[in-house]
Amino acid sequence: MRLTSIAPTTTVSPATKPRRLRVALAGNPNCGKTSLFNALTGARQHVANYPGVTVEKRTGTFEIDGEPTDVVDLPGTYGLSAFSPEERVAEEELASGPDVVVVVADSMQLQRNLVLLAQVLIAGANPVLCLNMADEARAAGQKLDLPMMEKLLGIPVVETVASRGQGLPELLAAVRRAAAAPLARHRVVLGEQLDGALAAIAARLPPGPRSGLSREWNALRLLLDDAAVVARLRALPTGEEAITEARRQRMRLETEAGRPVSVFVAERTFGFVDGFLRETRTPPPRIDTRVLSDRLDDVIAHRYLGLPIFGAVLYAIFWLTFTVGEAPMGWIETGIGWLGALVTGFWPHGSDSLLRSLLVDGVIAGVGGVLIFLPNILLLFLGLALLEDSGYMARAAFLTDRVMHRFGLHGKSFLPMMTGFGCSVPGILATRTLENERDRLTTMLVLPLMSCGARLPIWMLLVPAFFPPAWRAPALWIIYAAGVALALLLALLLRRTLLRGEDAPFVMELPPYRMPTLRSVLLKMLDRARLYLSKAGTVILGISILLWAATSSPKPSSYRIDSRVAAGEAVAAADLAAARTAEELEFSVAGRAGRFLEPAFAPLGYDWKMVTAMIGAFAAKEVFVAQMGIVYSIADPEEGTEGLRARIARDYPPLVGVSLILFLLISAPCMATIAVTRRESGRWRWALLQLFGLTGIAWLVSFVVYQVGRLFT
Amino acid sequence: MILTSSTAPSLMSEPLEDYLETIYLLVQEHGFARVKDIAKARDVKAATVSIALRKLDEARLVNYVRREYIGLTTKGEEAARRILTRHRLLTRFFEEVLGMPAHAAGEQACAMEHVLTDEAMDRMVRFFEFLGTCPSVLKAFGQCPVGARPGDEHSCGAYSPECARCSLNPKESSMSIASMKPGQSAIVTQITATGALRQRLLDMGILPETAIDVERSGPGGHPLWIRCQGARLALRRAEASNILVRRPA
Ligand SMILES: Nc1nc2c(ncn2[C@@H]2O[C@H](COP(=O)(O)OP(=O)(O)O)[C@@H](O)[C@H]2O)c(=O)[nH]1
Repeated sequence: MRLTSIAPTTTVSPATKPRRLRVALAGNPNCGKTSLFNALTGARQHVANYPGVTVEKRTGTFEIDGEPTDVVDLPGTYGLSAFSPEERVAEEELASGPDVVVVVADSMQLQRNLVLLAQVLIAGANPVLCLNMADEARAAGQKLDLPMMEKLLGIPVVETVASRGQGLPELLAAVRRAAAAPLARHRVVLGEQLDGALAAIAARLPPGPRSGLSREWNALRLLLDDAAVVARLRALPTGEEAITEARRQRMRLETEAGRPVSVFVAERTFGFVDGFLRETRTPPPRIDTRVLSDRLDDVIAHRYLGLPIFGAVLYAIFWLTFTVGEAPMGWIETGIGWLGALVTGFWPHGSDSLLRSLLVDGVIAGVGGVLIFLPNILLLFLGLALLEDSGYMARAAFLTDRVMHRFGLHGKSFLPMMTGFGCSVPGILATRTLENERDRLTTMLVLPLMSCGARLPIWMLLVPAFFPPAWRAPALWIIYAAGVALALLLALLLRRTLLRGEDAPFVMELPPYRMPTLRSVLLKMLDRARLYLSKAGTVILGISILLWAATSSPKPSSYRIDSRVAAGEAVAAADLAAARTAEELEFSVAGRAGRFLEPAFAPLGYDWKMVTAMIGAFAAKEVFVAQMGIVYSIADPEEGTEGLRARIARDYPPLVGVSLILFLLISAPCMATIAVTRRESGRWRWALLQLFGLTGIAWLVSFVVYQVGRLFT
Repeated sequence: MILTSSTAPSLMSEPLEDYLETIYLLVQEHGFARVKDIAKARDVKAATVSIALRKLDEARLVNYVRREYIGLTTKGEEAARRILTRHRLLTRFFEEVLGMPAHAAGEQACAMEHVLTDEAMDRMVRFFEFLGTCPSVLKAFGQCPVGARPGDEHSCGAYSPECARCSLNPKESSMSIASMKPGQSAIVTQITATGALRQRLLDMGILPETAIDVERSGPGGHPLWIRCQGARLALRRAEASNILVRRPA
């Protein structure tokens, strides 16, 4: 199950073809692992989710002396204790038995980074130590004795500067060396007491489970009372014996050491690393511990200045995303329009071809619907990559966490939610920066409540139609505020119900500020774009074509307006065409669905015209305006906004307007949002919950508002 | 294991006690016991039952009401009742006190009821009564790491200075870093968190006897921004209050 896509070739002819080498990258967050992965694989990489969790799985290939090698980038973790999904995934990936595990360590943070190496060693993997950020260490004056390190550990040790691709040939050679002949690795010595306890437990472990990991590692997990390991052992005939032994050893150690066993194990592991570093490292001369980064933080992370600065940064990002993005969006729109006209031109003028309609109104419009978001996404992720690589993102989370935490969210939820005001699609993609699964899902699910840019045309149509001039600005403000309030309340509700559970520990590392490299930023940006196009794009295109079919077929065989013209009524040519289009929509599947669903929406005050327009709005929110135009047979809704507005104001009381606005604000996010939620959460379940949950809430809120409102009018 | 040596608690061998128990239950239910009912209940041949019955008759524990219909003598009834009481008590002990599943508790009781002397049984009854009158002891046992089953949360709400386990986590009057101000430094003495949070803090290098500097705090005082082992970390109040420290004098 965990084998990568090359598995078939290896299993088909294991005798003739040597198995492809499998390498895993392990390391703490912020150690430069992603940079290293990108430097190794370039464009030959593939991103997916691990089944059932929002943890990202990156796989790729690179060549060592012309031989293709598979590499998997484990999620960044501080340990392998299997408490978080990331740690579980990392441990499982180790258990699957990669040939070599490259442990990437930040040379400036060796104490903590090497703890992971110790764990990988205990787990019985075949590691290579990659000391990254060698440039920073050199600049700070830290000296490392690499040959001594190799000697003490019995594994290859190399230095790299991943962001600039330095040291890669040496790393590849080291991987090759380790793969060819697993060296005489030295055991991690954790002290007599602990080693003895582990040996005693290991001796009682039944053979079989998790054979990719060493017995010693399994014994250690058992000693630490890992519930999953205990459960797995329970199922085995002699497992109970090992569990009992682990309990005995735990009691003994705790009583002897006078502290909980996990603390004791951690102390021993850090002790091992300390001893190792004492013999191999000359620490930097301590001239100035408060480096530039700290002085920057005195301003950027300041109690009072921090938030205003963050506000300015946010503004800059949105300006970049939505203002700069406007021009290319215009080009794409023009291009799509041009392409549509070109294709239309293949058919004789005025002819009515189903194929033409499918191509132009279905496929080309659908592709346009996908591409139209691309400039936003590219620019937003350019901004986000800059924030992340520079280290600012962690500061932003530090500054906003207090507020967000009140509502069961995380400091890092803030930015994606703000992005949602522009468009939910990049907002949901931006939830990637959240590490904890529950935080990510919560943020993703409530994010569509932030009134997005596509809803603005709807407000522009409806607000002036239903509110007197003096009330328009406050009404608009209330719409946005209601969305935010509801999003926060819903987040709180989700965390109390479906996504209940203890908060993930908020222990966030704040990496030092670094100058982002062009290469890394561009790679991250393109990565996102590719993901959006390949995964969400296909779903969006599919739904567009379905919606096209629903709004354009079947066609009526005769038009009421024609019989009226035949009866001698004078109708202008433009009005005639508009009236026909209106009748076509009414006759189509969408129109019929609108009529069919009318009773369900009658308690909210809507008629079938509104419901039909809403079905169209699922393709993209702003389509609502166009669809209302069609059902009211207004030839050009852009020009006819005034006319349409007047018709709406005449036909519906303001109360219906309020109810309608609320429904459009809360209800069914557009299909692009659903598709992206599906893609990012890894499951249809969450996307459908978002679709039906939000629509249900919208119905309820509108229902209550309309019915209560009626009592007073 | 059939105990008939001098250490045996009663006059009878284990199978005889079981027969007596069966007969008692049958008599309770029907007013009499028949050989074939006994054979069925104990899953043995009728001939085997007859041998056992002869022995019980010799000990004057049973009597024959009619052919095939068997009752208990006063002595027999008394003995049977004692055996049954033990069985029920032991079952409850294994199930309620030691927290074993019901079927396993029943099996254990069956195996054990025959070997306890009357004195041991009496002490056990008293201990059980004590647990009944002082339920907090039982509760503390279930929650203490000593008594908890794997996967249960290991922290008993109570704190007792005499308890050997509690003394591993002294609630000495030390302060947590949540009450430290920016600019202050301290040495970690203890991490009171459990489970995932404790592991996370440990993985980040927050260990007893390491130094922590509080560098700044977020708007409104939280999260805290600390430095530990050269790394800058942000912690919420809830996390920070789990790290106990002592200030250097
Ligand atoms: N100076 C320096 N910066 C690096 C090096 N490797 C990565 N970085 C930078 O460190 C930051 C974090 O790197 P990233 O690869 O995202 O780390 P990850 O969290 O481990 O995946 C980015 O700004 C990188 O450009 C290096 O060797 N030297």
